[in-house]
Amino acid sequence: MPEVSIMPEPFRIGAVNVGQSVIIAWMVIAALIALMIIARVRINRFSGAPKGFQALCELIVGGAHDFAASRLGAEHAQSKAAAEIAAPAVLTLMVYVFMTTVIELFGLPPATDDINCTLALGLCAFIMVNVTAVRVKGIKGRALAWTKPMAGVAPIRILTDLITPFSMAVRLFANVLAGGVIMKLLYAVAPVLVPAALGAYFNVLHVAIQTFVFGLLPLMYIGEAVE
Amino acid sequence: MPVLGLIAIGAGLYGLAACGVGIGMGISTAHAVDALARQPEASGKINSTLMIGMIMMETVAIYGLLVSILSIFILGGRV
Repeated sequence: MPEVSIMPEPFRIGAVNVGQSVIIAWMVIAALIALMIIARVRINRFSGAPKGFQALCELIVGGAHDFAASRLGAEHAQSKAAAEIAAPAVLTLMVYVFMTTVIELFGLPPATDDINCTLALGLCAFIMVNVTAVRVKGIKGRALAWTKPMAGVAPIRILTDLITPFSMAVRLFANVLAGGVIMKLLYAVAPVLVPAALGAYFNVLHVAIQTFVFGLLPLMYIGEAVE
Repeated sequence: MPVLGLIAIGAGLYGLAACGVGIGMGISTAHAVDALARQPEASGKINSTLMIGMIMMETVAIYGLLVSILSIFILGGRV
């Protein structure tokens, strides 16, 4: 039977246990920072007509803004402002989630296979949702949104909001863990050819779907908060 | 090992979560198809709303799968 554990894998530096997912995450962050520096240097040479690398960059950034605007609705000025604030943060979250999870394809353990990592991401998304809502509607408007449709539901609505980081964390963690367990079982049963075919789903497409969901959920919560 | 057998039955019973989710997904897809047949021009909105509902349902199935995996591998490992 393959070994499955929900406890974070230990990784010791000296006497301190920093956790394996932290190391993997920092490797991914280092790669992403290098990519961003290259992009920043090349932005200076961007011209009016995009092609090649510039077209790719504009596709990704423009896609994130369109995604946020389409989810929040661009009719009202408030939701438009919220989409402008949220789009870069959502893109950051999605890139991080995708890269730390798809790294499983290269034989490294994914960082999102650790409940600490996903809970941190969930809390980041929670803070992002509330900061966006407060910046768009003000603290008073954010508090008043809880009293709709009547004042009596406020405790339940506050509780629903407070649960969202844990819900997002457990969702991502369970999806990545389930994908990993299924792949481990497959490697144990049929080590040749079959994992290659199913790995395309569990290590790439499944990850892409989870990334999309992880970007969609904060936008949904923002939409609820600013409507 | 009667305890291991009980754990296996319990883990299998979490499949009922998938059963309920399957029914829910069937109902929501059926209604989405109805709506599409009636108003094909609203396909974008219908698709994205269906997607959100699907994600919510899928979460329940994933929670069931998580508990099932944990009961097999964590509880089963302790027997």
